[in-house]
Amino acid sequence: MNQARVGLFVAAALLAVPLTASAQQPQQPKEINLDEPEAPEETETPAGAPVDVPTEEGDSGLGDICKIDPAACPSIDMDKAAARDLKEEVYAVQQIYALRRHRFEVNPYWAVTMNDQFAGHPGPGLAVNWYITNVLAVGVNGNFYAGLNSVSDFNFQTSRAARVGQPITEYAWNANANFTYVPAYGKFAGFGDFIFHYDFYVVGGVGAISTRPIAVVDPDNRTFNFEPKISFRLGGGLRIFFNRWFAAMLEVSDYIFFDKLENPSIPQVREQAQNPDTWLAEGTNFTNNVQAQVGISIFLPFTWEYRLPK
Amino acid sequence: MATSPAEAQEIQLTGPLAGAPAVRKLRLYREGRLELSPSVSFTLLDEYQRTIMPGLRATYHFTDWLGVGVWGGYGIQYTTNLTDELQEKAIDNRDCSNRGFDKACRLTAGNLTRGNLAEDQLGRMQWVAAPQLTFIPFRGKLALFAELFVDTDVNIFVGPAFVGLQERRECGPSGTACSDPESFQLESRLAVAPTFGLGLNFYPTSFFGFGVEYRGLPFAWNTSGFDNYGGGPNQDFPDTAVNGDDRQFFFNSLLTLNLTFFLPTKVKIQD
Repeated sequence: MNQARVGLFVAAALLAVPLTASAQQPQQPKEINLDEPEAPEETETPAGAPVDVPTEEGDSGLGDICKIDPAACPSIDMDKAAARDLKEEVYAVQQIYALRRHRFEVNPYWAVTMNDQFAGHPGPGLAVNWYITNVLAVGVNGNFYAGLNSVSDFNFQTSRAARVGQPITEYAWNANANFTYVPAYGKFAGFGDFIFHYDFYVVGGVGAISTRPIAVVDPDNRTFNFEPKISFRLGGGLRIFFNRWFAAMLEVSDYIFFDKLENPSIPQVREQAQNPDTWLAEGTNFTNNVQAQVGISIFLPFTWEYRLPK
Repeated sequence: MATSPAEAQEIQLTGPLAGAPAVRKLRLYREGRLELSPSVSFTLLDEYQRTIMPGLRATYHFTDWLGVGVWGGYGIQYTTNLTDELQEKAIDNRDCSNRGFDKACRLTAGNLTRGNLAEDQLGRMQWVAAPQLTFIPFRGKLALFAELFVDTDVNIFVGPAFVGLQERRECGPSGTACSDPESFQLESRLAVAPTFGLGLNFYPTSFFGFGVEYRGLPFAWNTSGFDNYGGGPNQDFPDTAVNGDDRQFFFNSLLTLNLTFFLPTKVKIQD
């Protein structure tokens, strides 16, 4: 009998609900939830709503509909109605798998220089972000380069072949305060078998980078100390989630700053050549330190509760 | 306010969807379709010259996860800051055509042209043709700004690549001396190399998409036209000859942006 009532309501819904409901309109009925408890035997009926009238014979077919609305009686073919394509509404992402809102992200990574042909600046880094909303975070990050800078063979070969000294610099550290925005997230089915989630993010910030020239023009007289300069950061990356709190990440970030380079010319007078005021070239050099950052992201706390049920 | 623990995926595994396929009603964008993708590729991490390569990829997909096709492109070069600096400081300012006695001119006579660096001696990728197998292991969807939803997939590809190169012509003791200005000319060569990479594709409609692709193209070539190797211990020093010994291995990388058109235009939908 209970099944009969469910069947009646489904039939009535098929007539009442337009079948062209678009998939992404949240105000529409969402989905059939088989985990919800069954409806109670007796419920309050809103005024004007159809009333379920039991038949004397226990009829569970069209007879009930005919009693409710005789005009609809001959027009319903239950088999055809049941076979109709419902175009039921399904959200593209039902519940965000790895919710970021009000969670910390701890992101250790390894950075590799992408655009400096003459000197490499690899090094470890760490970023910590706090997600104010699910898509916006504030945070800090830092890179440590000291002792890891390396002058490339390319620099040596170019200098030897063309007899041109190319000013190069090394870095000690870099620290930034950042905003992170997550404009896109999604999921992939791998080999049609398993699903994993990912997101894209962009990051921007401001901070400082400590650099100094490597003396190549006049190494006999010149030694330089590290000095911090204001830097700006622009970047973007991809995170792939292995579970709700652990992800792998790949990012490309550009640390932009105005660097001071070694003076390519040497004063003829020895005393002047040993004067530190003559060691640096005039002006500053607009520098992009583009680096690839590969690492992991750990979201804390590990668990949370969704605000709304699925 | 009602709450529920974060167990959505686990419920699906043990609930009424247990045993069900990960995806139903999958749109089979590739199966039985020909994919035509006009593209533009950009070389990355270049030392002397950057290459922009307009190209085309044609792939026939036997299944939604496997296709075979060919990609090709024609390279257009422009110089890096380093090349511009060398041209200015080491060639134009030295004026070695008129000041050949200068020490720097004598020391660089075999390595630097007295004309245009890019035209006379820098290596360039003229064209690339690459038959390739394409696999599509990942299918999914992407939410952009939580408003726009688009189908996506990831493809990986592998195959041989035929690369039409121009490099500085060989010179040395057995032929034209490398210090002879006549030796600063480019010569064509065909290099064969493996190529592989992966792409991320978006499908806003059933017959049109767009994507981005990374391609590795590792092979050895002489990008500078310098005499860097061939002499001394382990051949790590110049030998006054420019030849195959001076080629260096480069993991050449390209980033490609492409538009994709599928034929036939109607897409199949999985059961």
